[in-house]
Amino acid sequence: MYGKKGSELVRELASSEPGQLSAFNNDLFAQVIEECTGHLLHLGPLIRKIEQIKKIEEVKKLNNQELEESDKATLKAHNSGALVHHLSLLRNKRCLMAYVYNRAEAIRSLGWAIDRVLPEEIEEKLSSSEKEYFKNHAASLQSYMSELDLDLAVDMVPPKDPYIKVRVLEDIGNVVLSDQSANLACHAILFLRRTDAEHYISQGLMEELNG
Amino acid sequence: MESGAGERSSQYSEMDDYESLISTTDAELLKRAWQNEKAAPQILRFEAALVQRSREQIQLMEETVEEYTRNGSDPLTVSLYQMDLDRTLFLLRSYLRTRLQKIEKYMFHIQKTTELWNRLSRPEQKFMGRCIEDMEQHLDQSVLSKLPSSYKSHLKQSSSSEEDDMVPEPQLDTYVICRSNRFLGAFQLDDSGEETVNIEADDLYALPYKSIKPLVETGQIDLV
Repeated sequence: MYGKKGSELVRELASSEPGQLSAFNNDLFAQVIEECTGHLLHLGPLIRKIEQIKKIEEVKKLNNQELEESDKATLKAHNSGALVHHLSLLRNKRCLMAYVYNRAEAIRSLGWAIDRVLPEEIEEKLSSSEKEYFKNHAASLQSYMSELDLDLAVDMVPPKDPYIKVRVLEDIGNVVLSDQSANLACHAILFLRRTDAEHYISQGLMEELNG
Repeated sequence: MESGAGERSSQYSEMDDYESLISTTDAELLKRAWQNEKAAPQILRFEAALVQRSREQIQLMEETVEEYTRNGSDPLTVSLYQMDLDRTLFLLRSYLRTRLQKIEKYMFHIQKTTELWNRLSRPEQKFMGRCIEDMEQHLDQSVLSKLPSSYKSHLKQSSSSEEDDMVPEPQLDTYVICRSNRFLGAFQLDDSGEETVNIEADDLYALPYKSIKPLVETGQIDLV
């Protein structure tokens, strides 16, 4: 059935949790594209045939004659055939676009949550074009922020206290922070300025301890 | 913040004055701008002057905090200043961030609507330009280049569509919660004028955004 694969693609998108990315479905995606090419192959000859009959009709009109009944019927059939292929193509296009567009939205929101470099487990779920898109988009965002001279990637939650308690997850070493220099050794538990800590947290080098 | 500190001494005798003054401080204005931007489905006008003032104030506060720390002032005072600073910074960042997210979401719609385009700040316009390039390239690589030539547009479904019928648009008839700080009287909800609402001061209403849009844009009503 026409358009079934496209809808499967969109259903896959709809059934995953919002903001979550599943692996890019290359196979299904390629199949839908193939279906589109197939539609075009049908569509071309049909349109040519329709034009032929229309030409005959015009010639006959000049001679005050009408199309023969059989020609009228084929015209009708070809018209509906072309319409079906055209609409199926549109539908497939919409499905493909929805798939790519919505994934791109999820990729963009990832850009806010993590620092520039994608973790491996996410990266392998993306298509090559998506990886490129993530990089380009992150660069656009970066250039906006540097033009404003304001880092927008910190302060994602409303601040309660200027300091938060964090645990260091990987050896970072001695670092000069905005108000102190600290030795960020693995497993150390520290009180840090929230703005300092957020960078490390988004890179997965630290976690915030609650309570 | 400065004006607030000055007002605090006469707080009890002139409560009303204090209330009205505090509601026009930049901190409060920024909060309002942020709330409106967060709640509105559409992008609102960029508060250029307000953002500029807030940034100057933030710089001033940063200097104050630094000075106090250097002088060894009471840590509590410093931390209070720091908290105030952090809050203002958060508001500003969140405000700008919310706008960027809306731009990302509705870039093609904003691109072809001059009114919306003019609401962006220069850097935002630049950002959107790049966003659109990135998105177009991505869509083209993934889908459009593989489709037949008359189906290659990212704005139209096919070349037989007369209008751009594939552009995601914000839903303007969604309901928003709003509050006005003064009495606005009977307000028409739709063009037919059949439904009217009496908007009282400080009451909460849930109304379709579309109908109160002019009130939001002129600052007569606030979204919450």
